Amino acid sequence: MNGKKLAYYPGCPSATTAIEQDMSTKAVLEKLGIELSEMEDWNCCGAAEAEDPRLVYALNARNLAIAEKDGLDIVTPCSICYYNLARSDKALREDESLRAKMREIDSSLDYKGTIKARHILDVLVNEIGMDELSSKIEHKVEVKVAPYYGCYIGRPPETAFDDPDDPILMDKLIELIGGEVVPFSYMKTKCCGGPLMMTRVDIAYEMARKVLEGAKRAGADCIALACPLCGMMLDAKQEDIEDALNIKIGMPVIYITQLLGLALGIESNKLGLNKNAVDTKEILGKVV
Amino acid sequence: MIKAWELDSNFRNEIMNEPGGEHLAACYQCSTCTLGCPITEIVPSYNPRRIIQMSLLGMRTEVLSNPDLWICAICQTCTARCPQDVVVGDVLAVIRRIAEKEAEAGNIKIESVRPLFETAFLHQLEKYGRLFDIGLAKEYYPKKEGSFIKGMLAMMKDYRKFGMRMFKKGKMGPKAMLPEKIKKTEEVKKIFEKIGD
Repeated sequence: MNGKKLAYYPGCPSATTAIEQDMSTKAVLEKLGIELSEMEDWNCCGAAEAEDPRLVYALNARNLAIAEKDGLDIVTPCSICYYNLARSDKALREDESLRAKMREIDSSLDYKGTIKARHILDVLVNEIGMDELSSKIEHKVEVKVAPYYGCYIGRPPETAFDDPDDPILMDKLIELIGGEVVPFSYMKTKCCGGPLMMTRVDIAYEMARKVLEGAKRAGADCIALACPLCGMMLDAKQEDIEDALNIKIGMPVIYITQLLGLALGIESNKLGLNKNAVDTKEILGKVV
Repeated sequence: MIKAWELDSNFRNEIMNEPGGEHLAACYQCSTCTLGCPITEIVPSYNPRRIIQMSLLGMRTEVLSNPDLWICAICQTCTARCPQDVVVGDVLAVIRRIAEKEAEAGNIKIESVRPLFETAFLHQLEKYGRLFDIGLAKEYYPKKEGSFIKGMLAMMKDYRKFGMRMFKKGKMGPKAMLPEKIKKTEEVKKIFEKIGD
């Protein structure tokens, strides 16, 4: 797997609210000897707001075609971007008439179906693999973690790459780095409420509260996650949730690439661990 | 009470002819979708099974004007668990799209700000090729609140502390005030022109 090159699709939050996810993804893959080439002029995947599948397919045909020109598979750190890229790839690959419709819209959407789009968690565990990862571990991160998967990793079935009800890929990584997975199965795959943040904040906060308090009750030192929208809800907005619901949580929320990066011996600032909204110093103290 | 003469027997076909709605009629009303739904847990009236049943019966107006359509978080739990592969999440998205078209034509009124939000979101993509958070908020809040001033005040109230927090962490500096525009915006514009939303 050494020397492999991937096209990098950062997703819109990578420049702002999820900058630490972007930094840690790049740092970890570099350390593992994977060359990343950021896709030239990529566009937004449509997120959860483009509800018309035709629009999603067209937006992502353009992205897929960009990577296809270089003959590279795509890796993205965002669960929603992954879902939109992967379902578009599948739909276009299976349907020549759909590909023809895309070409009619614009020649930049001429995707032939020769590459794959993958989520960072899938690439780490299933492509690079546990053996390779374990050979590169330099430190133990002795931290109790609530692995939070949210949506789009184990569902919907058409693009899932982990179990829908009891996903384990993050659990494996946490155990690999010397951490302890707290009992969190009932909460692992519940939605964080992110898509309702701007339109029904009351429901969104209640959904996020359940995840945050569930992790606290389970005795976790931190939540690990792999999606920038979950990060926005659970980390960046945690203080707003505390204010609105008049509760105290104080739960550090860390991207799985940040945790893995610590175990790989990457400096914490290079992993953006000073950028998480809830302070992460206590976690850094558990790296041995 | 259902009035048989007011039912629209073609409503199911209207849904099934749209991409995502194809498998509506496979539903056998087991309610697995609703039992696992994280929204139902919080808002007990929310019942995707019922929305599907009403659609199959042809209760077009009741379904399209149901405010609960707009509180789905698109988490895909219903889709993943449905034993009949109805693709419940996509069916609900089709129903929302039909409702938006009917609202645009002035036939129904949607009691939710969600269509305004989604439109404002997609406008950013159309203009810049990527999401511009501040542009989104500046378009969405005035529309939601009914005036520019009210919108700006509501936005400040919701996001002042959040913005400061992000600024302190170096996540929302001066760079975030400007859109990150892609080079070939004309390619993305073409997508919106030909597909629309």
